Amino acid sequence: MNNKLVTMAPWLAYFLIFGSLVFAGGDHTIHIASQVIILGLFAIAFNVLFGTTGLLSFGQAIFYGLGAYITGMMAKSFGGDFFVWALLIAPVAAITLSVLLGALSLRLSDVYFTMLTLAFAQLVWGICVKWSSFTGGDDGIQAIPKPELLAGGLNYYIFSFIIVTVCIYLLWRLDRSPFGAVLKGIRQNPTRISFIGLNVFRHKLLAYMISSGFTAVAGGLYAGIDKSIHPDMFVWTMSGSIILMTILGGMRSFFGPLIGVAIFILLEDVIGRSTQYWSFVIGAIMITVVLLFPKGVVGISRHFAGLFAKKGGQLDNP
Amino acid sequence: MTTLELRHVNKHFGGLHVSRDITMGIEQGELTAIIGPNGAGKTTLFNEITGYITPDNGSILFDGVEITGAEPENLVKMGIVRAFQVASLFIDETVYDNIYLAALAFHGKNGNIFTNRQTYKDVAEHCHFILGRLGLSGKENLKAFELSHGDQKVLDIAIALTMKPKLLLLDEPTAGMSPDERVKMTRLIRAIHEEFQLTTVFVEHDMDMVFGIADIIRVLVHGELIAEGNAEEIQKNPAVIEAYLGHEVL
Ligand SMILES: Nc1ncnc2c1ncn2[C@@H]1O[C@H](COP(=O)(O)OP(=O)(O)O)[C@@H](O)[C@H]1O
Ligand SMILES: [Mg+2]
Repeated sequence: MNNKLVTMAPWLAYFLIFGSLVFAGGDHTIHIASQVIILGLFAIAFNVLFGTTGLLSFGQAIFYGLGAYITGMMAKSFGGDFFVWALLIAPVAAITLSVLLGALSLRLSDVYFTMLTLAFAQLVWGICVKWSSFTGGDDGIQAIPKPELLAGGLNYYIFSFIIVTVCIYLLWRLDRSPFGAVLKGIRQNPTRISFIGLNVFRHKLLAYMISSGFTAVAGGLYAGIDKSIHPDMFVWTMSGSIILMTILGGMRSFFGPLIGVAIFILLEDVIGRSTQYWSFVIGAIMITVVLLFPKGVVGISRHFAGLFAKKGGQLDNP
Repeated sequence: MTTLELRHVNKHFGGLHVSRDITMGIEQGELTAIIGPNGAGKTTLFNEITGYITPDNGSILFDGVEITGAEPENLVKMGIVRAFQVASLFIDETVYDNIYLAALAFHGKNGNIFTNRQTYKDVAEHCHFILGRLGLSGKENLKAFELSHGDQKVLDIAIALTMKPKLLLLDEPTAGMSPDERVKMTRLIRAIHEEFQLTTVFVEHDMDMVFGIADIIRVLVHGELIAEGNAEEIQKNPAVIEAYLGHEVL
């Protein structure tokens, strides 16, 4: 079996699908595709914590919302040309905040970490809603300006596609790096990690910073899709949806979260048009996948691939 | 030279006194067995020496340096490395990747975020040396959970050895092994002790093994160090016979 081909196949599919939309997609499709890649980046960045390190953060929406608000508010205050610069400032701000929140929460046991991240997220959401003179409150921010060049839906999709691809590529490198190997080790056996001479907290904190930084980039990009943002981006159900989508797609696979996002958003779009009970349908699908295939959609395809070709090449053999 | 020194080390768990004023000195190059009934506090003693828990009072010195209360990861860097009573592995990873992770840590590559982990020749060589030395070579592509119980214990020791220890602590290395595996493990411990010029401390219930390879035997009962000496001295020690060995061994 050709190992190179196996590792590159998902990338090939990624470029074929999201690249071809540049030439073939109508307005609506491009709008959906923009959401998929941006939330896909969010989910893949989230999964650095969840599937890789074994940390369930219920508060990653903080960094998503923060990225969106920094980008939206800066573009609004300083003009459309500032939009792209704000996309660089957003992750820096998110990383700074993540150091603070991480230092407070990452030494705690897993359950307390999850609860504390949830509490932080609700706090930030509360501030965003109440401090309306600064954030626009419940109404959020509308008519966010962008540079001329990024004005149309298609142009903005191409721009997002490039940035998301670079980010996903960096996270893919991380997944296969020595640091990524340490994170997987922390998930499986943190005690052993200490006893091979590594500080668990420091590695978790770095993972948290990286995840939060990329999440803010996703948030910033989102501010440009509809040129409007709202406090719901901070709310815990936002974090919850990302968790669901990640599980749906498969948290043990690098591209699983992106696949989960794509399925989720497509279903929402298709079913949402015919019934108002789409969340019920999604719920039923989720339960089915989780019960029958705890490894997600990627697990399903691996399962059936396994039926045909017993014993596949391992992903990261030496 | 004294490699490890314990001075009046005490530890309580609630009302249970698990380390009772333990004082001992382990010389460099010594192969020490710690024996004692279940619940005597042997694993607890290992936990104190390796920084997993901190003694209530007393002090622990390594090469003359006070290490009481230091973190495990810092002690590993100083050369104090352990294997566990229940093998402590990265259970979903292959045998090779278990050792690879330890080697990455040893070579300080753990913080490298965007490099491919397969690029390091020195790390790979280190792994293959360890795999070969511990007889795991044919099994490197098996997942840790697929290994037999005995091989899991070997892999646990392999991870420890990858860290190039000065002081190696092995907690019941032959527990749950078949007689064949025990013999192999006993030989392995003696061999690596000499080859890697280690100071080795192991906890063991198999008296053949203890009396067969240990230079010094220390007996722990109810958290108290009741005797230390060579095989002959221990076998003759009345307190040891009374408290632990009983009649069956002698
Ligand atoms: N973390 C702990 N909390 C409370 N009691 C403990 C803890 N660890 C060990 N013990 C108790 O201390 C005693 C000694 O345990 P241990 O050191 O594991 O004994 P050994 O390894 O000699 O069999 C046992 O009674 C055990 O139940
Ligand atoms: Mg024990």
